[in-house]
Amino acid sequence: MRSFGNGADRFGLVTRVLHWSTALLVLGTLPLGLYLAGAEIGLSTLWLFGLHKSIGIAVLGLALVRLVWHRLSPPPPPMASVPAWQVRAARWTHRVLYVLIVAMPVSGWVASSATGIDTVIFGGWTLPRIAPVSERWEEVGFAVHGALAAALLTLIALHMAGAVHRRDGTLRRMLRG
Amino acid sequence: MRVLAVFAFLLIFSVASAAAPARYDLQPEESTVGFTWFFGKDPIDGSMPVASAKIAIDFQRLANTTVRVAVDVTEARAGFVFATQAMRGPRILDAARHPLIVFESTAVRPDGAAAIVEGLLTVRGVTRPVVFGAQLFRQRGTEEGDLSRISILVTGSLSRSAFGASGWSDLAGDEVRLRILARLRRADEE
Repeated sequence: MRSFGNGADRFGLVTRVLHWSTALLVLGTLPLGLYLAGAEIGLSTLWLFGLHKSIGIAVLGLALVRLVWHRLSPPPPPMASVPAWQVRAARWTHRVLYVLIVAMPVSGWVASSATGIDTVIFGGWTLPRIAPVSERWEEVGFAVHGALAAALLTLIALHMAGAVHRRDGTLRRMLRG
Repeated sequence: MRVLAVFAFLLIFSVASAAAPARYDLQPEESTVGFTWFFGKDPIDGSMPVASAKIAIDFQRLANTTVRVAVDVTEARAGFVFATQAMRGPRILDAARHPLIVFESTAVRPDGAAAIVEGLLTVRGVTRPVVFGAQLFRQRGTEEGDLSRISILVTGSLSRSAFGASGWSDLAGDEVRLRILARLRRADEE
């Protein structure tokens, strides 16, 4: 019977759904953000900003749910065959990834708040402003958002490389439990 | 309301009977203060309601004509919600601190079949001289020579950065094109 929670040596359904849905959304919105940073904006592309913000807030929500879920149902330890240095590298990669997938949407929210224009997600929900309306805050917010995006891309590449490099079932248990 | 005919200002001089400037009241519900700005390459239309207007037209001596109009920035619309917020915000019109845009004419003179209106425009506390073109029309339902109800079409353009309203210059163009259709009723008409 399929288990929702994590086991001693397996990832449950909830963790796997959270992981892959977060991955999908992040891999979708990162290139979108890069495109928006350099594109000429007009009426036909305006909706993409709303899409990017909506996905970003969804990622933030999933990250927070995941943090709570892993308190309730701790993930299994690394496979026994993994060398200690890889365990340490993976642990730190995961920690930094968590920080980034929370910090990225928050920095975007700060920058968006600072523009003075409502941050509207999913076509109609207006987020509260979390920064003063200020050109300086906007400038710094977007600069931080951009820098975090570069760091996140790097960490994702490391994370994926590590998952593929290991041929000990680590990736399989995140795919199939 | 559709315009029936165009009158040259010189023709109007010949049929007008008033010897002094005639005061006109604006019909706000039938008038529009429209503008066009550019979002990237896309032209976007916006509008602002008139807060007050004092207009006196001397058909025999156009130079005696005076115009003073104030528009309400707090109710201005820039085509879509985000643009409206940005326009009213501190980086463009700063509606919270400067709720009115005011135009006061300094000179009116004929220009062929139309007129040139020079004046001072005050936007977000900054006053600059501007020049607009104006055409006069008789409104539908009035007889030839009846100037009790007229329409004036004012056109022109300005640079928003000249008034310090230069925010979001990477997204919105500097030029703002004005198209104002003012429908007027003579003040002494019942």
